[in-house]
Amino acid sequence: MNHPQPSGRSARPASWRALPLAAAIVFAAAAALTLPIEPAGAQAKKRKPATHTVVMEGTSFEPAALTVTLGDTVEWVNRDFFPHTATAGGVFDSAIILAGKSWTYTPQKKGEIEYICTLHPTMTGTLTVK
Amino acid sequence: MRTAVALAISLLTGAAVAYAQGPTDAQIASIVVTANQVDIDAGKLAREKASNPQVRKFAEQMITDHTGVNKSATELVTKLGVTPQDNPTSQALKAGGDKNLAKLRGLDSAAFDKAYIDHEVAYHQQVLDAVDQTLIPSAKNAELKALLVKVRPAFVAHLEHAKQLRASLGGM
Repeated sequence: MNHPQPSGRSARPASWRALPLAAAIVFAAAAALTLPIEPAGAQAKKRKPATHTVVMEGTSFEPAALTVTLGDTVEWVNRDFFPHTATAGGVFDSAIILAGKSWTYTPQKKGEIEYICTLHPTMTGTLTVK
Repeated sequence: MRTAVALAISLLTGAAVAYAQGPTDAQIASIVVTANQVDIDAGKLAREKASNPQVRKFAEQMITDHTGVNKSATELVTKLGVTPQDNPTSQALKAGGDKNLAKLRGLDSAAFDKAYIDHEVAYHQQVLDAVDQTLIPSAKNAELKALLVKVRPAFVAHLEHAKQLRASLGGM
């Protein structure tokens, strides 16, 4: 008994023949996508340093935990009715920041820095520099 | 003496009756301003009389912080057109403050420092209780309520600071 040949058999070689073309299209597309990525990556390395704000209000630091990139600047703004400080023993010390005033600091090295307000020791914050 | 006690009891009873529905915003304004002023006055005396430098520094900070709060509270009630209204609680705070000043004036050096700090611990606890149980729940104006919420953590910080000083002075 002769079985008929599977109908798909003739179609298979046809799709194999199409493979190189499909691969070429995929490679071209990937190359096109890759090209603009590199300059963008290089740009990110030379990005402009950012300034971050920590608000001192309700006798707390907001945000209490802040992560910045080395080179960035942090500005503490006192929106309370009385003075505060941002003090990390041996690392930085704003001294008195009067109500409505602010103080800026640019970290010099990477690491996690815990700080307080020396006037209100219940006020604590963490600055992570990466 | 008996008259004084009777008066105190009638004042407290009066306060309970008057506040059956909580103090009005005008009464809260008066309580806030008086509570701050009482601590400023004690701080001014301690700035002159305290012998421990840490206690003097604390007193200085109490003057600064509570003056700042009062300035803002006064600006707010002026803006809102609210006239602070004297009431049994503000009167009791003032009377308690005067009594404390009279006691402190009779003390010197370490005894003064201890009495001042002990009172600061008790006073800030008392004011915090009033803020939590009466003032914040009763305040009707949103800005007045927000001001109370905003200054509350400073009173907590003052209380903790005073407790640390009490411990360092060899108190309880």
